[in-house]
Amino acid sequence: MSTQKMHIDSYERNWMIVSAVLLVLFATAVSVAAFGLGIQVPAPEQRVDPRTVATDPNSPWSNPGLREVAPGKYDAYILARAVPTWEYLPKEMTIPAGSSVSFYVTSSDVQHGFKIQDTNANFMVIPGQVSKLTITFDKPGTYNFICTEYCGSGHGVMYGAITVTP
Amino acid sequence: MNKYVLNGLYTVIGIVVIAAFAFKVFQPIQVLPRMRLSPAYNFIDQDGQPLTSETLRGQFVLYSFTYTHCPAPCYNISDTMQEVQSRLGEVDLGSIPVSFVTISVDPDRDTPEVLNAYGKELGADFDQWRFVTTTNKALLKTIVGSGFETYYEDKGDGNFALDPGFVLVDGWGIIRAEYRYTTEVSDADRILRHLGVLAEEVQNSTGTAKLAYEAAHLFLCYAP
Repeated sequence: MSTQKMHIDSYERNWMIVSAVLLVLFATAVSVAAFGLGIQVPAPEQRVDPRTVATDPNSPWSNPGLREVAPGKYDAYILARAVPTWEYLPKEMTIPAGSSVSFYVTSSDVQHGFKIQDTNANFMVIPGQVSKLTITFDKPGTYNFICTEYCGSGHGVMYGAITVTP
Repeated sequence: MNKYVLNGLYTVIGIVVIAAFAFKVFQPIQVLPRMRLSPAYNFIDQDGQPLTSETLRGQFVLYSFTYTHCPAPCYNISDTMQEVQSRLGEVDLGSIPVSFVTISVDPDRDTPEVLNAYGKELGADFDQWRFVTTTNKALLKTIVGSGFETYYEDKGDGNFALDPGFVLVDGWGIIRAEYRYTTEVSDADRILRHLGVLAEEVQNSTGTAKLAYEAAHLFLCYAP
């Protein structure tokens, strides 16, 4: 009894091998990043009610801004909104170099984005959820942050800046 | 022969992959994340006695933060603490003790005597629920701000900016849950459910079952 082997063209076979190797490489890279280096993607931190998050006096977003929780360690509560105008609250923040800032960002209306240039902070801002990410700013300079999810006609003017003083 | 070995290998890999997916989807075991280490501290309690982080090793500890001069309408952490304390019998904790620690961020006015009176007013059982602070303000800021990641700041006019919240620490001194501003469910319900989840893990994770619990940590099967 002879089994006839299916003919695979050598080019096709090589491509299949390369794809399989790539999959294994990516899986390894993701595993090393997650478990070895401890790199985390921005995860939903807590749930809030987008209708009251900006007005409830117990909500930190009713008074958004930068808070120093300990020397050199800050919490930034940022509210992204499209009503009444497209903006971030607060629009500008100043911190000394070497500070570590935990960003807690949420939206009171539609979906927004949050990207800080020259850092790896880039995440979605979803109404009802809080996105959290911690960044350490070692280099002095101005770091602009912009909205990366199309959120309406004022999307293009939705930006702000973090000034890192030496 | 070679073909059978290869087929067997594929089957085993397939079963492992499907089992891993099934574990993640159905989450037969849920745990609380190991977030980070709880800070070490040396506080003075409502009776003037020292309370250190080592005293409470081996217990589940629920921390809350307040100051007694907080003006109405102040976010009332004591309501939640009282509710958790009174409903503790609903949770199967085995033999693991639970302690409550309320840290005052205002050591100038919240002396042990003031904290003692405040605790009595709330009907607290001082063996289980302690009210503490330290006069070393830099240390207090580091413990509460950096350690428990809870923001507070002296406004200078007798009031404090304080983010309400609770922190749950396990018997090894690892922070397992934080309860911040949320509009989802009552904090007391979540805290009680989480205490049950923690107790279950401590009691059941021995021998082979420990591997299943570690798998739950690895696959981020976290209790809501």
